[in-house]
Amino acid sequence: MTLAQVEDSPIDWEGALVERARAGDTRAFERLYREHTGRVYGLCLRMTREPHTAEDCTQETFINAWRALAQFETRSSFGTWLHRIAVNVTLAKRRKTARDELVPDIEVEEEGVEPDWTLETPVEVQEIEEAIGALPEGARDALVLHALYGYSHTEAAQMLGVAEGTCKAQLHRARRLLRERLNVEVG
Amino acid sequence: MTERDTRSVTTLRDLPRTIEPKADLWPQIEAQIARRDTVRAAVAAGGARRGAAPPLRWLAAAAMVGCVAVGVWIGRSVLPGAGSAPPLAQAARPVPATVPTAWVTDPRYQRQHEELMRSLGTQLATLPPASRAKVVASLATIRQAKQDIESALGKDPGNALLQELLVNTYQDEMRVLTDVREASDAGKGI
Repeated sequence: MTLAQVEDSPIDWEGALVERARAGDTRAFERLYREHTGRVYGLCLRMTREPHTAEDCTQETFINAWRALAQFETRSSFGTWLHRIAVNVTLAKRRKTARDELVPDIEVEEEGVEPDWTLETPVEVQEIEEAIGALPEGARDALVLHALYGYSHTEAAQMLGVAEGTCKAQLHRARRLLRERLNVEVG
Repeated sequence: MTERDTRSVTTLRDLPRTIEPKADLWPQIEAQIARRDTVRAAVAAGGARRGAAPPLRWLAAAAMVGCVAVGVWIGRSVLPGAGSAPPLAQAARPVPATVPTAWVTDPRYQRQHEELMRSLGTQLATLPPASRAKVVASLATIRQAKQDIESALGKDPGNALLQELLVNTYQDEMRVLTDVREASDAGKGI
């Protein structure tokens, strides 16, 4: 059986790689790195907005993951677990260099339907990325985790270490600022 | 963020979730992992280290150095104590000229190292026997690690990991010597 066939098979090859990595197999861990580095770097880059810092955070994420593999519970997604580590690493690095942004833990009015972050008219990817990059850190973090990577309010709040209400408030703020910057309705 | 993406989208969920870094980060990650694992493995190996296969011996010895400072620190907590003169004349060795880093061959480093080594015997005498034994054992381990790493470097002079381990070993030795001096000074004051 070829490697491609193995990977196409219904076997949980990622789980197998995790097990091998836990046993000290760095080649298996490298495979996991190759599989996940883009998503981890993408998250770090959007949170830090600096490629070099994002690279540092990505490296640290995988190093921390290697050290903590024994604590990884295989019933959850390895990618989500990596993202949690990446968020922690990025926030820790940010705390070293910048002031914390204080956002009151306010309850925003619940919207009836979970917003899907649709735009009234098509907008160029680069323009959206720039608008996201210009958001205040707290609003950007919440938006990246929730609107781009699809984490729920609860998950995003847990990852960021804030109350769910704060996370919702940050999303509310992000939506308003995006609407202003892109000059389109954000649904 | 890097090259301009001219596609247009109507929802944020269509933005790319995957962005590849420009450089391959794996080599640095692998090096860090290898270094940490070396230390961990050596600590776990403990006394079995002496039986390790020759090619790995330098790794185990070098990694053991990481434990040294802790040992000394623990020793300091039981200061002061009177004891007999230390059996550590053999710990004093000149710094080899083959060390691949500028700071080790720096005259200031060499002067400080020589001074610390000269006063080591007197300072060890002020430590409790248990602490003294720990320091002697630690310095012997460091000495062995230096020899093993230098020997491995002789066969593979360009090996960055070995070079780093060697520098770390020298730094650990300085840390131990400095800690002994500080511990000795603290003992005198009590």
